Amino acid sequence: MLTRRVFLRGVGFLSAAPGWLARAAAGAGERKKKILVVLFQRGAADGLNVVVPFGEKRYYELRPAIAVAQPGSGENAAIDLDGFFGLHPSLGPLAELYRQRHLAIVEGVGSPDPTRSHFDAQDFMESGTPGRKATRDGWLNRALEKGKASPLRAVSMGALLPRALRGANPAVAIDDLNNFRVRSAQAAPAFQTMYAGTGDTVLQGMGRDTFEAVRLLESVQKQTYTPEGGAGYPRGRFGESLQQVARLIKSGVGVEVAFTDLGGWDHHVNEAPQLGNLLRNFGQGLAAFWRDLGDRMEDVCVVTMSEFGRAARENGNRGTDHGHANVMFVMGGGVKGGKIHGEWPGLEREQLYEGRDLALTTDFRDVLGELVERHLGNRNLEVVFPGYGARRFRGLLG
Amino acid sequence: MVVGLVAAAVALGGNAFRVKLDGEKKIEHALNRLTFGPRPTGAEAVRKTGLKKWIDAQLHPERLTENPALQAKLAPLETLRMNGAELARKYPRRPGAAKKASGPAMRKLAAASTEDRRKMLEQYAPPQVVAYDLVESKLLRAVYSDRQLAEVLADFWFNHFNVYLDKGADRYLVTSYERDAIRPRALGNFPDLLRATAQHPAMLFYLDNWQSVDPKAVAGRGRLAKRARGLNENYARELLELHTLGVDGGYTQQDVIEVARCFTGWTLRVPRGGGEFYFNERMHDRGEKTVLGVKIRAGGGLGDGLQVLEIVSQHPSTARFVSGKLAQRFVADEPPPALVEKMAQTFTKTGGDLRAVMKTMLDSGEFWSQGAYRSKMKSPLEMVASAVRSLDAQVDSAFVLAQAVGRLGQPLYRKREPTGYSNSSEEWVNTSGLLGRMNFATALASNQLPGVKAAPERAEGAGLRLGSPEFQRR
Repeated sequence: MLTRRVFLRGVGFLSAAPGWLARAAAGAGERKKKILVVLFQRGAADGLNVVVPFGEKRYYELRPAIAVAQPGSGENAAIDLDGFFGLHPSLGPLAELYRQRHLAIVEGVGSPDPTRSHFDAQDFMESGTPGRKATRDGWLNRALEKGKASPLRAVSMGALLPRALRGANPAVAIDDLNNFRVRSAQAAPAFQTMYAGTGDTVLQGMGRDTFEAVRLLESVQKQTYTPEGGAGYPRGRFGESLQQVARLIKSGVGVEVAFTDLGGWDHHVNEAPQLGNLLRNFGQGLAAFWRDLGDRMEDVCVVTMSEFGRAARENGNRGTDHGHANVMFVMGGGVKGGKIHGEWPGLEREQLYEGRDLALTTDFRDVLGELVERHLGNRNLEVVFPGYGARRFRGLLG
Repeated sequence: MVVGLVAAAVALGGNAFRVKLDGEKKIEHALNRLTFGPRPTGAEAVRKTGLKKWIDAQLHPERLTENPALQAKLAPLETLRMNGAELARKYPRRPGAAKKASGPAMRKLAAASTEDRRKMLEQYAPPQVVAYDLVESKLLRAVYSDRQLAEVLADFWFNHFNVYLDKGADRYLVTSYERDAIRPRALGNFPDLLRATAQHPAMLFYLDNWQSVDPKAVAGRGRLAKRARGLNENYARELLELHTLGVDGGYTQQDVIEVARCFTGWTLRVPRGGGEFYFNERMHDRGEKTVLGVKIRAGGGLGDGLQVLEIVSQHPSTARFVSGKLAQRFVADEPPPALVEKMAQTFTKTGGDLRAVMKTMLDSGEFWSQGAYRSKMKSPLEMVASAVRSLDAQVDSAFVLAQAVGRLGQPLYRKREPTGYSNSSEEWVNTSGLLGRMNFATALASNQLPGVKAAPERAEGAGLRLGSPEFQRR
């Protein structure tokens, strides 16, 4: 825990804000860039109750109190996907996207590191180097190719910059898009000069990122935003974050990667009602994002992840303790959807990891790697995921 | 003044921790690290007392008279003095009440006096009174207390043993948790502090241990029996990972399970009515356990859990983990290993005497070095409190200050995850936070924050200073 210094960067970085401003003002992006949106479910979502293996008898034996019922067995039953797997009943909007083949699911996926610590597991997934704590930057930052680009090429929604986006490329944390500015017009230029001139390298770099992003966002802030396609974002921070990501993408300010997270998945007690509420929020948010972006989804890919799954067997309190492998969603215009990718490891005792958790059959870097290389077009995977050469892509993109 | 500092520290590398600070810088450094920031007259006061004597006084807060102004400001916040049962009775949840105030309602609340605001909240959302009393008291203490080091440490230890105010019954339990378990022991004895947190209803509820039951126990009657039928690993894991040994401290999944078995039966009476710890023999796993290689004999009852706390308190990993975390908060993001080792030795030798550990740190060359000096980024709480202190501003209501801390990314008592907030600088360096700090600084200095007043001659033009890169470091 006592590692990692504040990222020193920026000296000599080629900033290109003026060019971007000009292009944004002209409203013309020359080459249409692909965009990757990453959603992190913090707290370890219970994948086995998100994508339900209702075809497996053992599932019901392991979870007598909290299993999601088989499709067709009443109101709170799973939504059938393929006769074996079903979606949690709160994920109706995603079932529709799955049927339209815009949404793909990867089963048995996660980090190969055995830790059941939330902190370490999130850290490993965001650094992109499981088991290695010395990595200082995040995979999503490394996924950006060097060179001239928009100051808003990497954005995260929230008051803090997540580990995945920290690193040598500029990345911008935006809590509230409309208020992303220095409110005092008098103080703004003085602050800008002050930060540009400081000998504090860390804050000088961060100050430059900040003011470049502020300039670029001025034009966006002048327009009011109305979601399109009848998109109904759920109330709350998660829905607002997704809406702000959509707004940034549509305003053509050069976003390449975006990150947002949703917490509260750590259900050790009384899981069913809490998971239902969270998934409703989650599913509605994703579906609204899809509708709002409309045709722009051709260039956008959304991927969801969580630090690990939860134990196959429910615990003593109608909840679940920390587990291993999990499930990921991939949504987008170019995605080979309507399919469960990866291999299902099974739930029999000898099939479970350490006799208790869903086993890993796909490394999360296989999923992210495929999206970085084939969607974002960055072929330097050894930089994005150092030390990982497997490249066992799952064919998620058509 | 700090121009080139970071670069200098980098150039010096590890040697920077061997370069001593001169006298004037030492005072500045002490005020930056051991308080929530210097007041305009702070350095002068320390000089008059003498740095050594001043530090010694801060290490013995019980000998210091508390600032009467603080006492007066805390007086109207009645819930701070109530127990859980009283809080649950007097500030009940209203079914159907809005969970969050709307924008205009929020502005009305911010503009009101503390007294009026408490009345308004009591009308439509009584449990909010409990929450606001807590967060406002934290800001008031940070700004006004004369026992500054004790306040910094109360914040450190609450965060180390984090609980979450918005998890169900915890709304009524956290007040006592901080007041009765954490604060009296912030310079006390670690095993004692650990036990106080382990048995406090706020922790038992937050990490679910109150519902953890021996899987073989015959289900009894009553509501708990219906809900609880087996082990819950949540507390056991975080106890090892976050409270004591640290994630690399040398425990296994089997240790987690064994520890969880030891703590079965550590439960609560009426959790939602204020909560009271008790040991329930029927929920307890009476079998033999092995924790970190130590055999715990069958039939130990309540003693099983106490024995676990003893084992982990005395484990060398705990001495290192706790010392390292303190050093990260007080000295540097990556504290010199030699310093951590010295502190850990004191920890072990004294059986976890936290005052002695702090003293070892404060007697070290590393603490008073160029490597430590202004190397830390202020957390949002530190930034907000230090800005108010540096203007000697008068706080009649801390509501708006608490909101500012939350918007900067550190909502107080509301870190959902048991990790607490990071003690590392990098957590607080980002574009959103930087803009937020500039905006807070200018609003404060132009007296735009309701409930907070700065003297015009002091505030004039101070916005730029408080929003500057220099002011973000401590």
